[in-house]
Amino acid sequence: MSFSIRKSLHPGLNLGEDHGDDHLEAETSVFGFWVFMMSDLVTFGMFFAVFATTMPLACCPGPKELFDLGSVAWQTAFLLASSLTSGMAILTLKQEHGGRGACTKKLVFWLLLTVLLGCGFLYREISDFIAMAAAGGPPTRSGYLSALWSLVGLHGLHVTGGIIWCLVIVAGILVRGVDLRWKLTLLRWAVFWHFLDVVWICIFSFVFLGGLL
Amino acid sequence: METNKEFRHYLLGFVLATVLTIIPFTLVATVGGKIAFFALILCAILQLIVHLRYFLHLSFKGQQREDLQLVMFTGLILLIMIGGTVWVLGDLYNRM
Repeated sequence: MSFSIRKSLHPGLNLGEDHGDDHLEAETSVFGFWVFMMSDLVTFGMFFAVFATTMPLACCPGPKELFDLGSVAWQTAFLLASSLTSGMAILTLKQEHGGRGACTKKLVFWLLLTVLLGCGFLYREISDFIAMAAAGGPPTRSGYLSALWSLVGLHGLHVTGGIIWCLVIVAGILVRGVDLRWKLTLLRWAVFWHFLDVVWICIFSFVFLGGLL
Repeated sequence: METNKEFRHYLLGFVLATVLTIIPFTLVATVGGKIAFFALILCAILQLIVHLRYFLHLSFKGQQREDLQLVMFTGLILLIMIGGTVWVLGDLYNRM
């Protein structure tokens, strides 16, 4: 049966015609993941809404005492750079793994670089959490602080999950090679990772920078 | 070549996102006040668009399915829920 393969079957980067049937297989799985991602965004949205309805109280330390602008800038840089490297990983998958038995070195390199940058982000974020607790701002102190810790913490948990997911993918690729299953997993993971950066834009803009104004 | 075009696409998105990050950080650290506040919101919205366009490959043309509608519907839901929450609780606060 001959029919023309559409270039774009689902949102995000598509594998493309070089991948033959794998490209067609990706449609339902990646589109479904986008639907999940949108519901995850709504969850984040509600955490933002709760945060927006609280305000720092006079009793407890506020943004000026708790936030470290330099550290937030570092976290932003780490996450933005990791977004680019995850994009490079997906681009490598699309361009070099159309046939069977392509060398996986380049793909694994970009994935591990992404993991490293993600760990840099987490290291900075956890240091900030520890410093905040030490400066008298643990989550139990006020409603504002609870909302702040939950929102930023939820994002941090997502990053941790993304890193673990990526390591599982690297292990899977090294053991099984880049087959259909890992291709689809990689496509979904890339969407997840890019959305973490999208959520972080809102966090650094409205929580950290907005709080310091 | 197709390969280089896609690579440049990512790189352009990365450069745009970097610029749109540096602007608000610099303004908040130096100028502050109302100008920084509005620049902050503008840069955040622009950077969201850059990420969706260059990293997640969403656009108004070339989408075969209702992908963009899925994202825009989610945006609408978020707008109603966040806007509604802030509106109702802000109103209550003003009456206290």
